[in-house]
Amino acid sequence: MLEMSNISKVFRTEVVETHALRDFTLTVDQGEFVTITGPSGCGKTTFLNIAGLLENYTSGTYLLDGQDVSNLSDFQRAKLRNEKIGFIFQSFNLMPDLNLFDNIDVPLRYRGMKAGERKERIEHALESVGLASRRKHLPAQLSGGQQQRVAIARALVGQPLFLLADEPTGNLDSNTAMGVMELLQEINAGGTTIIMVTHDQELAETSKRNIHILDGQISNLPSVSQTASINPPAVSATV
Amino acid sequence: MLLYYLRLSALSYRRNPILSTLMVLAVAIGVGSYMVVFTLNYVMGGDPIPYKSDQLYHVSLDTGDPNHEDDPPEQLTYLDATALLDADRAFRETASSKFGGTIEPANPELRPFSIVGRGAMADFFPMFDVPFLFGSPWDAQADESMDNVVVLSRETNDRLFGGDNSVGESIIMNGEPYQVVGVINDWQPVPKYYDVNNGPFDSGEDAYIPWRILPAKNYSRPGNTNCWKAIDGRGADAFLNSECVWIQYWVELRDQNEAEDYLSFVNNYALQQKELGRFERPLNNNLFDVQEWMVEQEVLPDETRILSMLAGMLMAVCLLNTIGLLLSKFLGKSGEIGVRQALGANKRSLFIQHMIEAGFLGMLGGLLGLGAAAVGLRGIKYLLSSDFMVTDLIQLNVPVAMYTIALAVIATIVAGLYPIWRACNVNPAIHLKTQ
Amino acid sequence: MEIGPIFRTLLRNKLGVLLIAIQIAFTMTVMINAIFIINERTELVNTPSGMDDANLFHINVIGIGDDYNEQIAIADDLAMLNAIPGVIAATTINSLPVSGGGSSTGVRLEYDISQPSVGTAIYYGDNHTINTMDLELIAGEGFSELDVPYRDTNGFTNAAKTVISRQLAENLFPERAPGSVIGEYMFLPAGNEIQIVGVVEELVAPWPTSSVFHRSMLVPEIFLDGFSIYLIRTEPGQRDRVTPEVEAALVAANPERVVRALETMDETRADTFRVDSSLMVILWVIIGMLLFITGMGIVGLAVFSINRRRKQIGTRRALGASRLEILRYFMLENFMISTMGVLIGAALTIGLSIFISTAFNMPAMAWYYTPLGMLTLVVLGQLAVFGPSNGAAKTELAIATRSV
Repeated sequence: MLEMSNISKVFRTEVVETHALRDFTLTVDQGEFVTITGPSGCGKTTFLNIAGLLENYTSGTYLLDGQDVSNLSDFQRAKLRNEKIGFIFQSFNLMPDLNLFDNIDVPLRYRGMKAGERKERIEHALESVGLASRRKHLPAQLSGGQQQRVAIARALVGQPLFLLADEPTGNLDSNTAMGVMELLQEINAGGTTIIMVTHDQELAETSKRNIHILDGQISNLPSVSQTASINPPAVSATV
Repeated sequence: MLLYYLRLSALSYRRNPILSTLMVLAVAIGVGSYMVVFTLNYVMGGDPIPYKSDQLYHVSLDTGDPNHEDDPPEQLTYLDATALLDADRAFRETASSKFGGTIEPANPELRPFSIVGRGAMADFFPMFDVPFLFGSPWDAQADESMDNVVVLSRETNDRLFGGDNSVGESIIMNGEPYQVVGVINDWQPVPKYYDVNNGPFDSGEDAYIPWRILPAKNYSRPGNTNCWKAIDGRGADAFLNSECVWIQYWVELRDQNEAEDYLSFVNNYALQQKELGRFERPLNNNLFDVQEWMVEQEVLPDETRILSMLAGMLMAVCLLNTIGLLLSKFLGKSGEIGVRQALGANKRSLFIQHMIEAGFLGMLGGLLGLGAAAVGLRGIKYLLSSDFMVTDLIQLNVPVAMYTIALAVIATIVAGLYPIWRACNVNPAIHLKTQ
Repeated sequence: MEIGPIFRTLLRNKLGVLLIAIQIAFTMTVMINAIFIINERTELVNTPSGMDDANLFHINVIGIGDDYNEQIAIADDLAMLNAIPGVIAATTINSLPVSGGGSSTGVRLEYDISQPSVGTAIYYGDNHTINTMDLELIAGEGFSELDVPYRDTNGFTNAAKTVISRQLAENLFPERAPGSVIGEYMFLPAGNEIQIVGVVEELVAPWPTSSVFHRSMLVPEIFLDGFSIYLIRTEPGQRDRVTPEVEAALVAANPERVVRALETMDETRADTFRVDSSLMVILWVIIGMLLFITGMGIVGLAVFSINRRRKQIGTRRALGASRLEILRYFMLENFMISTMGVLIGAALTIGLSIFISTAFNMPAMAWYYTPLGMLTLVVLGQLAVFGPSNGAAKTELAIATRSV
């Protein structure tokens, strides 16, 4: 479903060249729950951004659902993000001025869906995270954990191909974090692919498959699934 | 501390140059336009003689057409003016009207030229506090014996005598010799409140002579003459005996009692005239003081009032703009405010800091606005051009300039009250966390 | 179109919305009313007088001393003026249209002075006046030399004939064709009769804002009071060459007088309308400043508001919004605020215009001003916010995942 081959991302300024990702290769299949870990600055956020079509890559190939994304227009990428990917952010990124209903509504509007169908889906999504009664409330009226649930509902409402979660429990206390993880496991059990970036090693070890990134490359041995391949570390030429 | 806050204000300006400049511009335009309109109103409609404007009254006699409903005539007839003069009941009083004249200079090199003069009684000069450069007005005796005496304006004196003291000299006016008894200094009230019916924004008259000479020698009258009733007969005498109005009549009455007395005298006179078949309308005589007369005669052009309204709305828009921009500016500083609070600033000093920043911006706007107002007034003077009206007074003076800057500073501070309150009341913790 | 959510967002930020909406409302109100006043005044300033203004100029002659024989002087002067090459015609007259000064009277169709009279301006000229002014005679005829008496006092006219303007004819004899009033008599206030011998299409009064502006009567009568105004018409294009010649000739002809106040009709009109033209310029300046301030204000607030929402914009992009959709979002948001503003503005505009009409005696504003003004302000708002919205659309997507 998600196939990255030899992806490199280089940031160039006048004097410095930074390789955020080098020769990065990864395949994720439908239904997997993959965690991505690594120290700060290792490139996991870059990976996430590229995977989510938020950033371009310097070289390599990225096939999303079989489609090569390198030459897509902005409009086409937006469409892909809208239909195939569901984002969950560390700081929830809910619109503070919109109530919960309108927040979940946002991605559906970009599909040009009819009002009736939207309403149905949103209600369903709110119910599935247990917040249907609070649809008219503002994010500020909710606890952190509840806000993250809403964000999850928002990510799911468009029935995406996979969820991309960026440290979803980073801003939550341990109990709430556990609750959110349980929710995510539930969702994965229902068939949704989840790729989750986290710095929490314990959390990572609970997942079926963990990719550890160091200096822009995968650095741990493949565990259950054998489809990850490791390239030998290249000697980096820095300026 | 003030200097510290001022320095912070300057730094803050530099950090948001575009937003801050927009704000200063908005204040400048709002305050500048307001001051232009304010000055116009003040020059054209202000009290021209504030220390005695409530003691000078124009007499209004309703000698109009009984078959036609409209306002009382604005001027007096010859019969009424002379009757009031002869009765001599007021502390001071004068009839006055314009006359047309030609002056033949003694120097044969200079061509004769025409002037616009004014006939007035001796009291005219002390009543309106006319400033004298040389000599003095004629006396009451000269009024009655219609002596050929003349008071020149400064310009006319410059033209005829090179600006020298010409008291005692003789000039030929309208074919007759007149002796100069005085020269007045620059005197240009705007409007000419002593004669609002004949060109209130024209320049002052060139020469003054005893008023009784005008009817006696039948000098031409370049002012307004209105006759609702046909003149009975022909010739100058028939005109003087008619109901044609062409004369202004002013009295000086020192207090309320004198005013009441004079008005009853006027009404009694009117009743007597009614017996003779004149004053055919119902009794409607009045004394209007300077301000009242200008309002009654609608001297202030409608245009200035329309401009006042529109300039007021412009100022409101500028103020709203400033509030909006200040809101943006101060809310955008929430992070900095949060940090300051964490470092120990209390609400009060934050409030003062931002008040000073608002005042600083207001001061800049006020200075710029002053410049804008000066340019605006210059522009208006140019548009109106001095042929049309006397525009020398349309300018900024020091008190007005001070008022402008104060207005700008106060307006900006007021505009900033709510934004500052909002910004200072945000929970600092929210803005100290990374988002 | 996310009208619902945008509306709910706006509700949460009532102050910001109101600030812009009211600015738009006030700007619209001032702009529309100012333009209306400008249009009214422009019409006034361009009102034709009935004369051939472009080729006309006038000059005053004031006799000095008792020996000045005005009657002869006028006759000599006019003969001499007519002989100057480039001069088509010259006449003497007591006052001029659109000059601000002159005489008026009231005429009746009956002798009874208790009956209401029709107000009209009155011009005293000679038998060359109609030709000099180049008035359009639509019925009857002008005057001959024999019709022109002289008079040396004030009072009411003794002339027997008059030529009147079309408006005066219509007010005196409603429903009748101009040709049919030839030969009718009017009564002047003194009780004397005067006969209508001609009607001109237009001859306006000296006072543009007076109710008698389009009503005037031309009477052949010359005042001998030492003061004469000569009106001269030249061939097209010759006016500026001829004027100094005329002045020099009049000065040279007779030293016993003052020759002054040479002015073209165009200059006279400009003077009379100086306040109006000045007002128009001032109003344009006010309109310009208002549009600038409001436009800049919208830009400034939009930039600020968009900057505050960068994270939200990035998130929306992550959720699948294209650049176009982001642009459209902010344009739509502005459109809704502007709409609110122009609705408030419409009410204010109509209110202010009613006030101005009644307080300053002006006609009511035509219906299309307000909708046109609303459209203009909405377009202005959209134009102002386009730049910042475009900038918003270009927000880099990765901002959504950034944690600072």
